[in-house]
Amino acid sequence: MKRIRKLLVIFMVFALVFSLAGCGGGGNEGEGEADTINVGALFNLTGGQASLDQPSFNGFKLAADEINANGGINGKMIKVVSYDGKTEQTTVANNAKKMIDVDKCVVVAGLSDSNYALAAGNICQEKGIPFITSGATLPTLPDQVGDFAFLAPFGDNVQAYATADFAIDDLGLKKCYLLTDQSMEFTKTLAHFFKERYLEKGGEIVLEDSYMNKDPDFSAQIDRFLADKGGAEIIFISGVPDDAGVVVKQFRDKGVDLPIISGDGFDTPLLIEVAGEAANDVYVGTHASLENQDPMVVEFIEAYTEAYGNPPENAFAGLGYDTMYLIADALSRASDPTDPIAIRDAIGETVGLKGVTGTVTYENGSHVPTKSVTINKVEDGKFVFIKEVFL
Amino acid sequence: MMDALTYFLSQFVNGVKLGSVYAMVAIGYSMVYGILRLINFAHGDIMTVGVYTILVLTTAFGMPLWVTVIISVIIAVFVGLSAERFAYRPLRSAGEETTLVSSLAVSIFLQNLLVMIFSPQRKAFLLSEQLTELHSFGTIRLSTMNIITFITVIIVLLILSHMIKNTRIGMAMRACSDNMNAAKLMGINITSVIVTAFIIGSALAALSGLMLAGEYKTIDPLMGFVPGLKAFCAAVLGGIGSLSGAVLGGFVLGIAEMLFAGLMPTEFTAYRDAFVFALLILVLLIRPNGILGTKDGGRS
Repeated sequence: MKRIRKLLVIFMVFALVFSLAGCGGGGNEGEGEADTINVGALFNLTGGQASLDQPSFNGFKLAADEINANGGINGKMIKVVSYDGKTEQTTVANNAKKMIDVDKCVVVAGLSDSNYALAAGNICQEKGIPFITSGATLPTLPDQVGDFAFLAPFGDNVQAYATADFAIDDLGLKKCYLLTDQSMEFTKTLAHFFKERYLEKGGEIVLEDSYMNKDPDFSAQIDRFLADKGGAEIIFISGVPDDAGVVVKQFRDKGVDLPIISGDGFDTPLLIEVAGEAANDVYVGTHASLENQDPMVVEFIEAYTEAYGNPPENAFAGLGYDTMYLIADALSRASDPTDPIAIRDAIGETVGLKGVTGTVTYENGSHVPTKSVTINKVEDGKFVFIKEVFL
Repeated sequence: MMDALTYFLSQFVNGVKLGSVYAMVAIGYSMVYGILRLINFAHGDIMTVGVYTILVLTTAFGMPLWVTVIISVIIAVFVGLSAERFAYRPLRSAGEETTLVSSLAVSIFLQNLLVMIFSPQRKAFLLSEQLTELHSFGTIRLSTMNIITFITVIIVLLILSHMIKNTRIGMAMRACSDNMNAAKLMGINITSVIVTAFIIGSALAALSGLMLAGEYKTIDPLMGFVPGLKAFCAAVLGGIGSLSGAVLGGFVLGIAEMLFAGLMPTEFTAYRDAFVFALLILVLLIRPNGILGTKDGGRS
């Protein structure tokens, strides 16, 4: 009997832990003043997503400050309301609720991963508030969530196709080993589309394997690969930022020096910080390059550096920045910038809005913009611009 | 191209590598559990405290690693003893469930404290080149750190087993483990026995933290919880309260994980944790007290 009671207690404790994970928050006090427009900025400033979300949030705030300094939107100032999502879906969902119910935000934006964007998007849809994800690239997100959801970046299909095209057309590597993180919607979708395109273009996937996010040890997978390489010429890793540096480092430590390619999940300073020299010869398909000489990009990098003391950490800073401008553009065109439906319609009518991560147009009623993909490569501890791919 | 045997061997070695880290954490767990029957959820977080101490001292003050390890052990011991003094000792008579919940509170407290001090951002944790240098044994490559970890686990196990079997404090520990009230009546100073167990447990936590972080290469304030849980499983699997059991459990867990990931069809590779926990249930169904556990499993 005692044993059963003890087990029960242990289960209760776990229930407690997981429910505790949902609490927390803290942040701005919401007050619905008439001369401000409240915009919700949902980001995971802590936890596994932080290396993408923090730069993105910085970019978002920078854009809001610039807009306000230039007189706001038709005289109204933008007020950015934000709470830390802690890389927990429940916290993200609760924050979205709070932004809408308490802070009266008319539009909510942010997040760089599909899992979290889905959690927040569904809340916004339920409450009839437009939601723009600044960095999540799940192309089916608007279909899954509903008519209030938009993507600011390209969809996974686009980045997967672009990296597959690049591997075959530019690098001429037609045999690929595919390693996928099975725990994320993003990584599974990315791998799916990469494989589809790679096979279509005459490539061959010689071996497929998988892991779970936060497994710190890839040696089993790497040894399996070493035992049967099948003549692989390139490795595609569909992973998220936490694992980027660790997985690359472990491959190199086991003597695998093939080029590695991945999507925007690898566009994180952690890749180079953790893997060091081992990160060389890693290609990353992402949203922008800091080496872009476009005056808009150059100005953005200068402003960001001045505001935060360092240049943008990755392309997600640019995505956050562009997302705020996307919102501002829609607010200024909306027939009533306090009416969520009018704002939603205005976002959907965005045409040719140029940003630092490309140009946003929502065509034929789609809520996913068509944008170009930038291929960067790590050389001597730095991301170097290689190519811009248009599909 | 490797033949099947070499392949199996390399996966086995991967398992031993991972298992020695689990074993190291599990010994510390077992040390405290063996005496108090307290599932110390904070163990993993004391480990994290140790890791952060090393990171700060090496990066901010440029101290050599061995100095930082000593300081991190001292700080971990201090944290472990504080937890014992303020969170567990006042509840000693309240029953196992109460201290269990209390240890969870300590765990959450430490995690949040680390978040407040160091920011929750993931940080790179890189060891010196001597420690990460790779040695080839045929097709198998091991870093110096892997070898040190394995040897340390064995040495720690031998020293502690000897201590528990042959020294006065060791005998007192066994007595407390058997029956705390009887031990008290026999004139054993229970508090000093428990304090000793926490000192050893926390010191081992700090050491295992270094080994874990050396493998992960990144650290964050919440990194200790899951390895703590796995080490707990290792200790249960091996026979909780038994130090050799904890080490054995750690190796079994690590090897099972790697062989599963290495030998099952690749569609299942990602689900190795699920497999490992299923294995745990299976072992406990057959041997409820773990592989090396004694029949009555300690104090009733």
